[in-house]
Amino acid sequence: MAQIKKERVPPGIRVALAMLGFYLVLKYVVRPPLPFSVIFMYMCMALAGAIMYLTLFYNIKDAVITPLYTFLGGGVEGGMAKGGRYAVLVAMPLLVWFGSYEKFNKKMQPPLDSRVIHPAPPVEFTGLYNPYRVEDKELFKKYVADGKEIYYRNCIFCHGDLLNGEGIYAHGFNPKPANFQDPTVLPMLQESFLFWRISTGGIGLPQESTPWSSAMPRWEAMLSDEQRWKVILFLSEYTGFSPRTWE
Amino acid sequence: MLITAIRKYGLPLLLILGVVATSGQAEEGAPAEPKKAEEKKTEEKPTVSMELGKAIYEKRCLGCHGPSGAGDGPAAERFKPRPRDFTRGLFKYKTTAHGSVPNDDDLVRVVTRGLPGTGMPAWQSLLKENEIRSVVQYIKTFAPQFASETPKQITIGAEIKPSKESIEKGKDLFNKVGCIMCHGDEGRGNGPLAPTLKDNWGRPVQPRNLTKGWVFRGGNAPKDIYTRINTGLMGTPMPSFASTLDNEKSWNLANYVNSLSQYPGAPDWKVAVVAKPVTGEVADDPDDPRWAGLEQHSFPLVGQVTIDPRMFTPTVDMVTVKGMYNAKDFALLVIWDDPTKSVATPAAGETVPEIFDDAVAIQFPAKMKEGNEKPYFIMGDPAHPVYVARWTAGTNKVDEFNATGTEVKVGLRIKPQEESHWQFKGKGTYKSGQYRAVFKRALTTEDKETDLQIEPGKFYPIAFTAWDGSNGERDAQRSLSAWYSILLEVPASKDRFIYPTLFLLVVVGVEWWISRSYRNGNGNGKQK
Repeated sequence: MAQIKKERVPPGIRVALAMLGFYLVLKYVVRPPLPFSVIFMYMCMALAGAIMYLTLFYNIKDAVITPLYTFLGGGVEGGMAKGGRYAVLVAMPLLVWFGSYEKFNKKMQPPLDSRVIHPAPPVEFTGLYNPYRVEDKELFKKYVADGKEIYYRNCIFCHGDLLNGEGIYAHGFNPKPANFQDPTVLPMLQESFLFWRISTGGIGLPQESTPWSSAMPRWEAMLSDEQRWKVILFLSEYTGFSPRTWE
Repeated sequence: MLITAIRKYGLPLLLILGVVATSGQAEEGAPAEPKKAEEKKTEEKPTVSMELGKAIYEKRCLGCHGPSGAGDGPAAERFKPRPRDFTRGLFKYKTTAHGSVPNDDDLVRVVTRGLPGTGMPAWQSLLKENEIRSVVQYIKTFAPQFASETPKQITIGAEIKPSKESIEKGKDLFNKVGCIMCHGDEGRGNGPLAPTLKDNWGRPVQPRNLTKGWVFRGGNAPKDIYTRINTGLMGTPMPSFASTLDNEKSWNLANYVNSLSQYPGAPDWKVAVVAKPVTGEVADDPDDPRWAGLEQHSFPLVGQVTIDPRMFTPTVDMVTVKGMYNAKDFALLVIWDDPTKSVATPAAGETVPEIFDDAVAIQFPAKMKEGNEKPYFIMGDPAHPVYVARWTAGTNKVDEFNATGTEVKVGLRIKPQEESHWQFKGKGTYKSGQYRAVFKRALTTEDKETDLQIEPGKFYPIAFTAWDGSNGERDAQRSLSAWYSILLEVPASKDRFIYPTLFLLVVVGVEWWISRSYRNGNGNGKQK
């Protein structure tokens, strides 16, 4: 019978190191960052898996419980280990104290208005096509130039000269103006959606989008249908993003 | 021995540290904003050319600066300051002497970094350096001076670091040399000459408010300020002091101006006014010394540009608020800069426009709703009125009204409250270009049904609005804030000490119990 290869590292330590590595991956590698509650859930599942592994392949008592008990109980030998034990015994109560103090000392925060940024438009604003998106290249170019003038006369103060939502008044409004240079904005929206938002502005939003906070004017009171469609042409030509089409 | 110890006892150490670290984890922040994917491009040698500059100018610059660089693009009318007219060769922010054309790096710097507080953005996020240099070459063709003149660089002597002595000397110079005549005694742009100033295009200009360093367009470091003092601002009444002040005096003056800024960098904008509890009576005087010790909360104000009639060039760009309360009353101190003290004055002939009262107002929902629904932040809407308390410079009193928004092309829909129903009392002062106004009110009123009741420990929506009467601001045409919150802060409970201590004792008890049971040999795996 082949001799069983002797383990170089105790199984408990190997499992602990694996769990630490998994935690570091969840915290620092996964993007966008995971909220604490999700990390906690994954770590609980990993812990359950670790316990099953140790139970199936090792005596969990000998691998984990006895060393832990011995360490905390004071049955360690050697100055380094004794020092480590005392450090742990002192650190744990202090960490618990500061952790729970932090929880109880939470500063009150104003209530946050969660909002739906891109709600469904009303039926009269669905399925519309931009009548100024024409085949004639010269005519199209003229329409874009008209749209540019409309943007610079009306939209630049909030959406900015870079079309990045950082105009000179942007910092005073909540929510902030849209950043048209962001690839998750124009390419995700249909032109009829844009036409709706430009036409009815903030007050045309449904309740779930907090219409009481939006500074977006109701442009249908100030700009004609033609002007509103033309400015949409300018947005897509200047940024290089094409609005989403109907599938 | 060390390896043996780690092998034998390393596991519990790792487990314990891991558990402790995990349980102490704070709530994660919001997911990072996805970055724009970098487009792959064949690396071509960047060139600077007039053709490229012209193409970029027509695509990027024409909207503000106009087709021939005269500063008359479609956006120009509604910007303050207006976009630069390049055709006269008068450039403000440069490192060349007064009267000289700027050098290329001066212009590149402005395009690259933009001018904070104006519509000129930092183009470096969209344009490469060769593109910026190309457009600069094109811009130079609008002004004939570039063809015949060579830039004359200024010299900056050895630096004098900011210090108490330097700032004191700088302050003396500020008064002696005449800065005070335009910028005012505390630097808020309220000097006696301020109302008379015009630029080279004949348009009224406002001296810089030196207490707002974060919007110094040429930068607010002492070296930047020194440069401005030396070069002056061409096209404006700001002269060059190169021949008046030597190197040492210029540094002292620059250090003083730098020290005037209210904030080290950009303002610390807040999301809520936190009012503190006080013993004794709540202050009703703006100059009550107790205000000085309270925390300040600053909020940005911007033009009402949403509903006609609109205001694109407002004067007041922020308010700073402090709050205090006792068991019966609360008071807010609202502070804002306005270079002119304005009281309503009729127009005088063709040349002197009508002046309106300076004023400031605080706004609340008329009815607090369950959930987060609020009136429209621009003074309400037909279904959700707001309750507004307004202090006016002309009367030095607070009046109250309900508003249900703005009638397009008409103005605010205001329903004044009868004076007998007014809850707020107020008083204001004006000094050195700054207003301070107190709004004081009882926490609760007799009419529980219709009046706003304020309870400590709860957040209430609040918004601010201001009018500068000398700027033609009145009614719907004004600067305003978004909705923020006000909280009358209840002192923190002792629970935050009691519970942690209890938890600590539990952990210590468990540790002690484990040690004792191990020593007594009651545990498994006894060592000896």
